[in-house]
Amino acid sequence: MDEKKRIFDDPKSYVRGVPIVVWLLFLVVVPLIFTFTMSFYRSKGLVLEKTFTLDNYKLFFTDPIYSRVLLKSLRLALGVSILSLATAYPLAYMVSFKMVRGRNLLFMMCIIPLWVSYLVRIIAWRSILGNRGVINSALMAVGIIKEPIRIFLYNRFAIAITLTYICIPFVFIPVYTALEKIPKNILNAANDLGANEFHSFINVILPLSLPGLITGFIFSFIIALGDYIIPLQLGGTQGIMFGNLIWSQFGFAFNWPFGAALGFVLFVISVTILGLTAKFGSTEGGFLSE
Amino acid sequence: MSSTGSIIRLEKRGIGLKIYGALIFAFLYLPLFVVLVFSFSPTKTIVGMSGVTTKWYTELIHDSELLKALLHSFEVGISAVLIALILGTSGAFFITKVRFPGKGVFRALVMLPFVLPGIIMGLTLLIFIKNLNIPLSMLTIMMGHVSFTTPIVMFQVSSRIQRMGPNYRYAAQDLGASPFKTFWYVTLPMIRTALIGAALLAFTVSFDEIVISYFLTGTWMTLPVYLYGMLRFGLSPKVYSVSGLILVFSLSLILLMTRYIGRPSEEGTAKG
Repeated sequence: MDEKKRIFDDPKSYVRGVPIVVWLLFLVVVPLIFTFTMSFYRSKGLVLEKTFTLDNYKLFFTDPIYSRVLLKSLRLALGVSILSLATAYPLAYMVSFKMVRGRNLLFMMCIIPLWVSYLVRIIAWRSILGNRGVINSALMAVGIIKEPIRIFLYNRFAIAITLTYICIPFVFIPVYTALEKIPKNILNAANDLGANEFHSFINVILPLSLPGLITGFIFSFIIALGDYIIPLQLGGTQGIMFGNLIWSQFGFAFNWPFGAALGFVLFVISVTILGLTAKFGSTEGGFLSE
Repeated sequence: MSSTGSIIRLEKRGIGLKIYGALIFAFLYLPLFVVLVFSFSPTKTIVGMSGVTTKWYTELIHDSELLKALLHSFEVGISAVLIALILGTSGAFFITKVRFPGKGVFRALVMLPFVLPGIIMGLTLLIFIKNLNIPLSMLTIMMGHVSFTTPIVMFQVSSRIQRMGPNYRYAAQDLGASPFKTFWYVTLPMIRTALIGAALLAFTVSFDEIVISYFLTGTWMTLPVYLYGMLRFGLSPKVYSVSGLILVFSLSLILLMTRYIGRPSEEGTAKG
């Protein structure tokens, strides 16, 4: 009994924690503190003025441009999460319930794209949607259009479809894990009690898979919210998202303090959303555990 | 009996769902296929492609900048993985074996580099590096990569340790093995495949990483950063052949990885 009540172990055993704590301090915590500090500085041309000011946050909250871009990014992220869920959930359901053989193979096939180079996948979508891309070439070959049309690339649709493509495995994994955990005798019980597939889905499967669904939803939301490369590569002039706004402060705008403030805003939003997952979602079946 | 019966009944239905599933599979794999096809195309178009050529691939061999970037990617990937193996494995033993208050928060903090948008990791590390006056170099990119390879290793290994349970260790200790011998002869062989799997996974992620690296790169470029630079001049045949190369390499790593990483549905095999 005493064993279980103790909060601390033998002091020597804490030595094992030293490397990971040092890592955590130097690569996560301190950089975050430095960023937070810098967000209260001011940039005068190329010089950093290290006096405390709230100007960066004031600018963010008063100039409607910034909140408008943030709102646009939030809307995009919401759309991408819904699309990813609409594709990944049925896929997970199919692999989990409709397949007797080859489930492991199909599972692998669903998550392999996760590890295929992010940049290569962006290039793939540019070559599909582009001017001389697959869709245009196909439409021209069939004779529907004579000249390549530009409606596929450089718009929000192109950003959304590519982000969805990136997010599908991130939604699939937690949903599939949640579905696999549902005891089969519960489904048999529902079946014996006369529930058809639709009813057992609505009354049994959906509620039990909700934690996985929420986790997947939130993961894709955060990925879509923070991305800056896909909007740049596929969005054209419509593609200025919140991530691009942040990136440009470190690139040509060279206003690091303002970039730090915008980054901190994104950090707070992300951590709040992730906190919600910890509360309502499933932390199991993540991407890091076996 | 009734269980298999109902599963089969479920199986028979759902034709519509299976068609939808097949369409999603096409959606997942066609783009990758397109890149490969383009990389063998003599012209820039895909419809009416006349023949197949490997000349874009052979041209790559003469591109010294590209080969340098490829070498850099290996250097960063291997060193980031080795450091992550040390940090992550010790961290895994720390989090599974040692009691301390606030473990949940600690676990969440370690997860942060993996779950936060890459742009946040990129900019916080950039600001940190500038504050310390470290010039952008291989070191800075490596720091960025160690930030996300470490949680990968740590969570792979800690879930293996948890599944193993403490009994093997107790048995070894009862038989008189010292803590070191217990670790070397009992624990390490049992987590070996988790270590290999985690190393492969971490290397794959590192080899493809661009979002964080882009912030931390000066003139010392990794392959994805170099490829990203090439994109400014449009989708050239060279872009496709480099992409094709990365694609095939990543897929091989993934296939290798599946031999080591625990089957995700191991508990689920009792189903049906």
